[in-house]
Amino acid sequence: MATRTAEPPSAAVIPPPEAVPSAPHANPLREGLRHERIAEPCTMIICGATGDLTERKLAPALYNCLLDGFLPPEFTGVGFARRQWTDDEFRAHLLAGINKYSRNRPVKPEIWESIAATIEYQQGDFNDPAAYVELAKRLDRIDRDRGTAGNRLFYLAVPPSLYPEIVSHLHHAGLAASGDDRATGGKRGWTRVIVEKPFGYDLESARTLNRVIADVFDEDQVYRIDHYLGKETVQNLSVFRFGNGLFEPIWNRRYIDSVQITVAETVGVEGRGEFYDETGALRDVVQNHGLQLMAMFAMEPPVEFGPEDLRDEKLKVLRAVKPMSPADVATNVIRGQYVSGWVEGERITSYRDAPEVAPDSETDTFVALKLAIDSWRWAGVPFYLRTGKALPSRVTEIAVQFRRAPLALFSRAGVSQVDPNVLAIRVQPDEGILLRFGAKVPGQGLQIRTVNMDFRYGSSFAVDSPDAYETLLVDAMVGDASLFTRADEVERAWEILQPILDAWNTGQGGPLHFYAAGTWGPPAADELLERDGRAWRKP
Amino acid sequence: MNLQTRAILEEQAVHRRLMQFGEHASLATPIWEARDTSVRAIAAHLATLWDPPARLDERGDPLVTEKGLPHARASVLNLIVTVNDDAAADRIVRTLLDLGVRHPSRAIVLVPQHGTANQPLDARISTHCHETDDGDRMCYEEVILTVRGEAADHLSGIVAPLLIHDLPTHVWWPSDPPFNDPVFDQLVEMGDRVLFDSSDFTDLLGGLRRLGSLRHASGIGDLTWERLAWWQELTAQFFDAPRFRRYLPNLSRLLIRYAVPLPDAGMLPGDPNASEPGVPSPMAQALLYAGWIATRLGWRRYRTLQPLQDGAFQLTLEGRHEMIELAIRPEPTAAVRTGELLSVRLRSLGETGAAEFIIDRTGDVAVVATNADGMTALLRRVAMETPREAELLSAQLTDDVVDPIYENALRAAAIILASARESAG
Repeated sequence: MATRTAEPPSAAVIPPPEAVPSAPHANPLREGLRHERIAEPCTMIICGATGDLTERKLAPALYNCLLDGFLPPEFTGVGFARRQWTDDEFRAHLLAGINKYSRNRPVKPEIWESIAATIEYQQGDFNDPAAYVELAKRLDRIDRDRGTAGNRLFYLAVPPSLYPEIVSHLHHAGLAASGDDRATGGKRGWTRVIVEKPFGYDLESARTLNRVIADVFDEDQVYRIDHYLGKETVQNLSVFRFGNGLFEPIWNRRYIDSVQITVAETVGVEGRGEFYDETGALRDVVQNHGLQLMAMFAMEPPVEFGPEDLRDEKLKVLRAVKPMSPADVATNVIRGQYVSGWVEGERITSYRDAPEVAPDSETDTFVALKLAIDSWRWAGVPFYLRTGKALPSRVTEIAVQFRRAPLALFSRAGVSQVDPNVLAIRVQPDEGILLRFGAKVPGQGLQIRTVNMDFRYGSSFAVDSPDAYETLLVDAMVGDASLFTRADEVERAWEILQPILDAWNTGQGGPLHFYAAGTWGPPAADELLERDGRAWRKP
Repeated sequence: MNLQTRAILEEQAVHRRLMQFGEHASLATPIWEARDTSVRAIAAHLATLWDPPARLDERGDPLVTEKGLPHARASVLNLIVTVNDDAAADRIVRTLLDLGVRHPSRAIVLVPQHGTANQPLDARISTHCHETDDGDRMCYEEVILTVRGEAADHLSGIVAPLLIHDLPTHVWWPSDPPFNDPVFDQLVEMGDRVLFDSSDFTDLLGGLRRLGSLRHASGIGDLTWERLAWWQELTAQFFDAPRFRRYLPNLSRLLIRYAVPLPDAGMLPGDPNASEPGVPSPMAQALLYAGWIATRLGWRRYRTLQPLQDGAFQLTLEGRHEMIELAIRPEPTAAVRTGELLSVRLRSLGETGAAEFIIDRTGDVAVVATNADGMTALLRRVAMETPREAELLSAQLTDDVVDPIYENALRAAAIILASARESAG
């Protein structure tokens, strides 16, 4: 804080700059700028570019990255899909998406003209080898014309059933290899591929999918996107745990009684009936978001914040989760399905009455489960996960319940046991942290009430957070896989859930419970905790 | 209870109701105003500012709900702003409001008025809340203090008891800072970080030199440096690609043009090198940009200088491989704010071939192009909007570290300006 006066520098000579650490061969003008991480020149190829995802998410995300200076000037976008579109039709599709969904809008015409010139469309059937040959030629030309240096990012915005076909054709057209593995194209540049969830339907299909991809791509080329991991909060979770000295010492079985993870939606299936009836809550949410949140919460501090360190630690948590026997499933997993009810003042019809849902469907729209992490840190601490549709509020949170004070010191004064402390980490919607503790009610005598101390990110940092896709797309271009899921994590998550799916299929997993839309799941879910002397939070 | 007190209480009640029901948009309610008051009275009022209105449940107990907390608020920083007069204070109040209630938890605006001694201290306290789309409410407190007479020489003693404790304190001079005033040193001492806008300096050379010699634990912030951020980003982008980076060592010319008012706008451009009393020099941005490039690329010593016409000048610098001509030219225009950059051209003429890297601004769009070996590559149009003061301030409040790259650029800018002056003299 002290000021020190130095001699004004001599006017004749510009002194050598004070040591600013400089990587060899780096761009000296880049150092110290706000964007120190800059993607190399590259082409992004969206397979299935005429679909909804491109319009809603990818086009707005890319546009915002461009406005914020995150994309290199050479960046080129190529849409690859079956529809008979011209370049201009494809550009209009993107422009419409940006003007509708981008956080910066509308697009200035004079700037769009310049952006549109960097976007092309390649028409082709995904099962036609000739289309990939055409695509390869186009990409070589783009490398020459725009200086994209052979760097290619493929985005598979198509249903997983098309992956095997596309991946294999990319391989045969010489489009899958990176750098030295390339037969042609000057042997320069990288190739990466972004894959959307779901990563498989069960353990076997996930393994098959991973194998199909691994036949063609090395694991370090593959970026499995789970947009939850791109959210600011998930990154905040690491900062909260490892950037503060206060929490980590009590983050273990000695101080923590139990952990509740809730991923609740208010909506029903709403037009996704066909997909959802095949999937269910366990596959749709627990397999990815639920277990990923748990792993981020429970992992050991990584040695460094590098992608492999982080993912190794998450995998260790998943590996420590005890797989269940069919009997465990019957007692520790509750599945539910909503019947008609009222949510947020609107009537929701029964799941079985939703369009494209089988009238006798057994699909889980709600699941609550108790997991045990058999590690030195967490042995004996139950992790309760629940997720569901048509629940009373949309909320994602992790709540930590601490052990009670060892003595009921105030009982002589007529005060019963004080409620345990709770630390709730809200992921959405009002991202923040809440701490619950007991305090004396002012006045004579001794009365204790529980109070909340509430911190909201939104009330201290009113900064426009980037959309998760913006973060993730730039990460993939820079080659940082920290926020993407690795193949072994995906498979381990399925290994944890497969016994549950099997028990349900064979009728050993306990009954399907029904709950009215607008309630927190079936009573059996409450009993799951009551048995242990606990109760779900009402977030 | 006198009438005035009752009026204030009613106003407070209205204010609190508004807060409670979360009226949309921003609420700015002056809720407490006092003439000839004391620091202690101000501090006492600040301490009760957020006391929630008593809300009771049906049984008459204080209402405690998880979501219904009246003001869930996290504190981020103190901001002390010193201005010369009430008009400047009003401008700052608008800038802070424009900040979208983004950073400061408490902003203290000081209006020192030397001389007159009766009623040494007037205070106006207001709170500003802004509702975000997610329903979060961002609030900050604004304290405007008019300090008269001898008390104006002891501002730090007045401010110290009014800061939120344990929070970083940023000290900002939005106009030409009184570098030679002892109060300046007091406040610099008090701040964790000090903020200036070198575009406001009337004595640009003196100001740049003084900033260069101020060493501060959390660094110095300069809004003019922030104005250059997008120009720096675009410049750096030219050389991110390895195929163009090879031109960097062989740069042989840097031409920077910046905006000055049109002659018929009442102010003659005159010689922007000369410092005219009371008029800020428009050259700060251009000099800092030149200083940035020069220090990042290791350009060393100036050899000769050619003063050109109408305030433009040209220096010869020695690069690692080539001699470099650095030319800085004012250009009269009404299209952008005085002092903003209009164009940057970097030319390379080495054994690697000829190339030119161009950023040309027209209004709020810029054309960015690379001409290498006779071919134009990557010609594109990008947005180039003049950032508002609030945006600049916001960015500078976020960066609270020492920036050696800025400090190097600052020293080089002072040297370039001194060289231009010397030869002109």
